[in-house]
Formats: sequence, C-alpha cells, structure tokens
Amino acid sequence: MQIQTQCKIPAIGVASSNIVHYATGYVQKYQTGMPIRYVSVPFPFTGQPKAVDVGYVSGKDMLTGQPLMTAVVNALTSPLTAEEKLSGKPPEEAAEPRLLPPNTEENLRVMFEDKEWTDFNTIVLPTERRVAEMLKGTSHKPDEVIKTINITGGARQLTVEKVAISAVMAGASPEHLPVILALATQAPFGNSTSSMANMVVINGPIRNKLNFNCGTNAMGPYNRSNAVVGRAFTIMSKTAGDLRNNVNAWETLGNTMQYNNQCYGENEEALPEDWAPLHVEMGFKPTDSVVSVGTGWSSIASVGASQSIYPTHHLMRDYISSFCASGSAATVVIDPTVAGLLKDVHGFKTKAQLSEWFSQNVTKVNASYWGNGVIQSTAVPFALAGLEPYASWRKLPDDALIKPFINPKAIHVVVSGGKVQTMWFVTDFGIRRGVKIDDWA
Amino acid sequence: MNLAAARGGSSAPVAGEKRMKPRLIPAILPAAFILILAISSGAVPRAAQQAGKSGQGASASAKDAIPFPQVSRITAEEVERLMKDNGNVVIVDTDDPEAYAAEHIKGAVNIAYDPTVEAREQDQLLSALPGNKMIVFYCNCSHEEDSAPMVMEMWELGYDHDKVKALAGGLTRWEQLHYPLVGTDIDKDTQKGY
Repeated sequence: MQIQTQCKIPAIGVASSNIVHYATGYVQKYQTGMPIRYVSVPFPFTGQPKAVDVGYVSGKDMLTGQPLMTAVVNALTSPLTAEEKLSGKPPEEAAEPRLLPPNTEENLRVMFEDKEWTDFNTIVLPTERRVAEMLKGTSHKPDEVIKTINITGGARQLTVEKVAISAVMAGASPEHLPVILALATQAPFGNSTSSMANMVVINGPIRNKLNFNCGTNAMGPYNRSNAVVGRAFTIMSKTAGDLRNNVNAWETLGNTMQYNNQCYGENEEALPEDWAPLHVEMGFKPTDSVVSVGTGWSSIASVGASQSIYPTHHLMRDYISSFCASGSAATVVIDPTVAGLLKDVHGFKTKAQLSEWFSQNVTKVNASYWGNGVIQSTAVPFALAGLEPYASWRKLPDDALIKPFINPKAIHVVVSGGKVQTMWFVTDFGIRRGVKIDDWA
Repeated sequence: MNLAAARGGSSAPVAGEKRMKPRLIPAILPAAFILILAISSGAVPRAAQQAGKSGQGASASAKDAIPFPQVSRITAEEVERLMKDNGNVVIVDTDDPEAYAAEHIKGAVNIAYDPTVEAREQDQLLSALPGNKMIVFYCNCSHEEDSAPMVMEMWELGYDHDKVKALAGGLTRWEQLHYPLVGTDIDKDTQKGY
C-alpha cells in the first residue's frame, strides 16, 4: 500500500492459496481505502525444497489460472474494474441491530451457529431479561467500554453488556460476572495459524467464594465455575473478536483447549510454606482475587508417579526442553504433593528458585531451537540486529546445546490438584500479569 | 471510535415462520434477543485507528502534561554510558520497520508500536527480550507516546519495572547529542561509533 501511495509505484500482493481469500475479502480490501490486487501461490512454501518454491513461481496463479508472472504483469497493468472503482462503505459494513427480532428458540440457535456466535455447544440464549439479571453481578454500567478489540479491518468496543451476554450464553450466574469481566480485559484469546490455546488461572478468596475447583480434577470437566468462566472467555473471544472459521480464525488444527481455556484455581491452601500463590508473585496481595491468562500451545503430562531414581524436576526439565522456548515462556502446573517433593526433598524453597533452576538447566539443541517457525519470526530479527544471546547462538554449530529459557520470570509455577497422585504438567504457556477481579464487582 | 447507536429490534414475529412452536411463544416473544455484537457498526477502519496513533500523547502534550507519567524515563546520556561501559542494555526502536531501516540508534532492535495489533501478538516478540538487562524503548515522538506504552506492556509480561524504561526525548534527543545512529539515511562518515 505504501509503495503504491507514497512511492507511486504500482504494487500487488502475493498470498498463499490457503488464505488468499482473506486478503481479497472485504475486510482487507477496504481497510486502507482501496483494493489491492493479489496473485496466489500454493501453500505451504515454508519448509519446502527450493525447487518446489521455484516451481510455484514458474507455475500458475491460483486465482486466475494464468502463468504466475503473466498474472503479476496483468495485475500491475490492467485498468481498474468497475468494482475497483467503487467508493464509500462496502455492503458488508451494514450495521446490525443490538436486538434481534423475536423468533423461536430453535431458529435462534441456528442463527447463532450460522453466525458463529457460539462454541457449538448448546448456549443459553441471551434474552434481555437474562442479560439484565446477569448485569446485577456488577456495579459497572452496561455501556462501559472494557477495551477496544482490534479485529480484522478495524476495531470493536467490548462493553460490560456484551460481556454479560457472553456470560449468559456460557451458562454463568451473576456472581461469576466480575471474574468474567476481569477476564474480558484479556480478550480475545490467542488466535494463530499455529493453533494456540490459553490458560485461565484463578487466585485469591474468590476461588472459595465461587467454589472454583483447585483440587481433584481441577483441570477437568467437574466443576461449574471452572466450566462457565472458561467457556465465557471462548464465547466473548469468538464474538467480540469476530473469530470465524476460515474467515479470520486460521488455526490450522485448532486446539481443544480453546473450549474451556484450562480454567482452574490454584490450590493456595496446599502450597508449601514460602511458596507464594501466582498472583502474589505478580505483586498482588494474598487477599486480592485475581484472574491470570496464559497463552501457549502445548502441554505434556508426567503420566506416572514421581520416581526417586530420577528427580522430578529433572524429568520436568527434559520435557520442557521439547518446547520452542518462545519468549522464554513455560508454566508448570503441579499437584501439591509434587510441590512438597520439590521443596522438602529437592530443596526448592520458593517457586522462584525452581524457575531459576529451569532457566539454568533446560537445554536445547541449537538447530532444533532455530528450526521452529515462531522462533524464526521472533528471534532471528533480534539475532540479525546483534542482540545477545541470539546473535551468538546463530553462530553456534547445529549440535551445540543452548539454554533458551533466558528469562526465569517468564517461567511460572502453579500448584493445583487434589493430592491424589504426584502428577504434573509442563506447558509452554506464557502468563501475563493478572487482573484484579474485585475491580469488576 | 464509538459504536454506532444501538437500535431496537422489531417486536413483530418473523412473517411466515412455520417452524415456530406455539407453546414456546409466550416464553420467547416478550424478550427480544440481544445481539452479541454489531458486525460492522462497531468496526473502526484501521486507517482511522492508525491516524489516531499517539493520540493519547498528543492530547496530553496539548495540556503540557507528560503522557504516561508512571513510566520511568532514562536520559540519552545514561543510555550512552551504559552502552559504552558494559553493553548490558537492550535498545528497542518502536518506529515502523521503514523508519527503523532509515535511521535508528546503533544496536537497537525493532519492535514497532502498533496500537491496532492485539497485545498477545506482540508478546512473542517482547517476551523474547532478555530479562537480565536494562531494556530501553524509544520512539521518534515528542513525549514517549509510543515507547511508554511498550514499557507498560513489558510490565504486563512480568518484567521488572526498574529494568524497563523509556528514552527521554526519544530519537530526537539522541540525534541532538550526536550519538551513534545507523540506517540507510545516515551518513556513516559523520557518525562516531563505539
């Protein structure tokens, strides 16, 4: 766009075939005020032998069927079509009403699904009465803007009322609303072609007040608060974030964790002495109720019980090393019995000590680190700009071992579970600073 | 950036509706259903958003108030000294890539400030910055309008407040002091290096 408008040089876009209609669709077409022409090549081109990519260039444009370079020249030189000369707002931008006209429950469910306003589990339809009832759960006004969400081609204001609607749809009760409003400050959830997922952690007195599950089956489908709060995050993210499959949600495999966003509470009562709850480590008071959101991709379970012949934290280290280490992020979710082992047997007096140990001891083969696509797009520019340690790592042999978790503060430890088994998960989730729930009461 | 005014829906049932279940009518009709979102009425064109970039800072500037006063500043002199002494500092240019390519502080990496990008998208980049060094964000703006929000985002990611700062006066101040710059617009012969 800048090349065309500022440098006065005709320009076109080249998009891969899997997403080219996103590029040519209205949201992109009109976002900068004028349409851009595109040609398209097959996908994937990343990770392919050079000959394959060369073949794409010498092959055909996926949009027109013309030889690619012919299509490029035509796109650059042919006059504007009648459609391209249109000005004003695109037809897709017609406003939709705040209220839908009355209809049958069945028809409305179909409509909500057709518009992808659901997670495709059955929702509670958000009638005015139900939403008004939900809004009694907060002192905040319905039209208060929580945040502006950037969506493809523009932005949308997420209001208290819209979050209340999501809360109704998810099956929540008014007392859940402050938690869901706090969660809304972090919406929408992570959405990436690389199939991201999220983790919602509840801390503080609200856990007990609303009976969040922090014990046995904390991360499973056994508790209403965990279920509805986690689900509300999905529904508000999809609706307010305008995430629609193959329109602007492009997670190639998707992630089942997105249904509930792994919503669970930390078992603060079972923490070893001097192990602070997650929110306290972030600087909140123990008496604050806080919701924290993590974003990542992967989770690996210990599967069996801890064994004395191989220390638990060593096994965690081994498993963490398989993660890409993007942003140095990892979150370890451990049963209280494991926390006890780590403190009493292995001497980790605080969570911070354990995080520091991981930072110092998780190693990765250099080629494996750079072989990850996310690392390519984040760390490579830093390395090329001379930023350490990335610049030095780029010069190391492929089989050299590096310690890619350079920031121990990005490695979080959360204690949850019911003391049934010495069980743990290591994950690659990075957790942002939590949000005080009381501010949304 | 306000949403368009919400409009009330018709209270009339859909004409010709054959699938409607009579026994459900009393339960359904009194309550019109609320849309979750206005598909397009709330959408603000990205170009308009971009035009509003740094708006908060501009507004504050007009009132002679420093925007984002909670963000610690560091002087160019201090940064230059840190760079010379031990290099234990990371400099981050928050301008767009084109401006960065044209001119930036020597050794700076580029993470462009873009308020239209979801924070989570930038988190992958920001959280790759080392946590054991001083990190200084700068922009080519008068009162750190673009660099200060990036500092606050770093706080959200758990970085220490005292290790992430905004360069007071930004690129302009650096230029005034004739400290090293690189880029396609920079005359290498007039630059001093470390």
